[in-house]
Amino acid sequence: MVVDTTTNELDIEIEGLTYTYEGAGSPALKDISLRFERGKMTCLLGRNGSGKSTLARCLNGLLLPGEGRVLSCGLETSDRSNALEVSRRVAMVFQNPDTQMVGETVEEEVAFGPENLGLPTSEIRERVDYALEQAGITELAARQPLRLSQGQKQLVAIAGAIAMKPDFLVSDEATSMLDYSARLRVVELFERLRRGGMGIIHVTHFLEEATLADSVVVLDDGLVVASGTPRDTLGDPGKVRALGLDPLAVTIVAYELEKHGFSVPEDVLTVKELLAWLYA
Amino acid sequence: MALRLKLEDISYSYPLPGSGEAAALSGVSMAVEPGEVLCLAGANGSGKSTLAQVCTGLLLPEAGSLYYGEEKIHGRGPLRDFRRKAGLLFQNPEDQLFADTVARDIAFGPRNHGLKGDELEKRVRESAALVGLPLEELGGRSPFSLSGGEQRRAALAGVLALDPEVLVLDEPFIGLDYEGRRSLEEALTRYRDERGATIIIVTHELSHVWSLATVFGLISEGRLLRFETRAELLSGDADLSSLGMQLPQWGALARELLRSGLSIDDPADPRALAGAMARHKGAHDGG
Repeated sequence: MVVDTTTNELDIEIEGLTYTYEGAGSPALKDISLRFERGKMTCLLGRNGSGKSTLARCLNGLLLPGEGRVLSCGLETSDRSNALEVSRRVAMVFQNPDTQMVGETVEEEVAFGPENLGLPTSEIRERVDYALEQAGITELAARQPLRLSQGQKQLVAIAGAIAMKPDFLVSDEATSMLDYSARLRVVELFERLRRGGMGIIHVTHFLEEATLADSVVVLDDGLVVASGTPRDTLGDPGKVRALGLDPLAVTIVAYELEKHGFSVPEDVLTVKELLAWLYA
Repeated sequence: MALRLKLEDISYSYPLPGSGEAAALSGVSMAVEPGEVLCLAGANGSGKSTLAQVCTGLLLPEAGSLYYGEEKIHGRGPLRDFRRKAGLLFQNPEDQLFADTVARDIAFGPRNHGLKGDELEKRVRESAALVGLPLEELGGRSPFSLSGGEQRRAALAGVLALDPEVLVLDEPFIGLDYEGRRSLEEALTRYRDERGATIIIVTHELSHVWSLATVFGLISEGRLLRFETRAELLSGDADLSSLGMQLPQWGALARELLRSGLSIDDPADPRALAGAMARHKGAHDGG
């Protein structure tokens, strides 16, 4: 076996990835090269149809590259013999948790993945308890998933992913349908998992969530059009708008302040930071 | 101005499997005028979608009364007439779209109301134009082959084709990107201005309706707590997070500035926020 020394078994590496949906005129992803690291949170942004969901689905082998390759934790997703391991190492949650629910109780729901791995009962028990605790829903263990609130269901779906002990968690707009309180709980959970060493890749429309990420990738028409820290990518409201995104209010106010002769540093993205500048 | 729609002490509960029932609405009273854009704001599960369906006569309340103008809606005839004047856009456009082409889908409602021939075609064309849907390009396609944003607009065109005087929309902005939200906002403003329609938007995301809504009704656990204007939401000490919501970043900034004593001409205008901050900073740095 030839060992490719450039691959890193800890990361997700994408090289020259092109993906075209059947019957579509042009590719949904065009020659994308990116790297996602464990212990980091990356937000994927972009207008509707920009390719961000398609990219998310390429990371755990739900979609396979047309050209180029995706190496998830060193495993090439196109290699069918890797399919099971890739889907275990890179877990995925979606916008509507209802589409993922199969169990009669929350506990069964969370146990579903580990059971399919054929683990011993004691190990399954341990994993389910750990996942419920991490997600902060231990008290919901005996409840019926379909009778829970939308936000609670999403936490159950994420607990199910945690129970697989993945290296990465990919959220395809897992917060889009949730109200603010529920969204906050999910984002806090992502932060907790990230600190525990998991890599988080979060597709979202909310730029305020992206301000919390380690890095931001913006797609447009299947291409990576911006990437870097939130401060590098989200500070200029004109550029942000041109990418089809809703600029942060704070950056618009900072831009207006320049017309009054004040220069607010471009890395000011939050209300707290702008107020700190104002009262400095 | 004369009231368009009035709800008086409305209650509704869903039967639960097994025993009992869950109250979705209790004692809700509200009134809206023509040309108003009312945002009914509440967390997931607060009862706001149920209220949206009551506002269009789709769900009949167990207790309380619904008035259209001065008329109490009572009995089958008046209810049928009211349903013709009220339109509801569901949260999920796939719940609304069903025909084999976009054009037929939009035509379905007005055709049922007796429109035909040129008149029908004109109504379909106007409705599609109002929501910015290119009919030449998409009219012959299956609604289910459209993108999420296009589906939302096709569904809205179908509702507007009925020319409703009361237009109720359930979470219309969810899943739309910046440009999609902007174009929907413009379509709604245009319809309101042209038709003097009353618009009711149900949402948990205040940032999506922050500049569009003329008044906000806060809903929690099936109760309509109170109505607030944008200015009241900013100056009051309503704890929105306890209702599962937050002010948009605009509002959060304006609120902090107001609290620290800055005066702002129009808290919804970024230029006014910047102006107030510049005055403060200038006075401080200068002195």
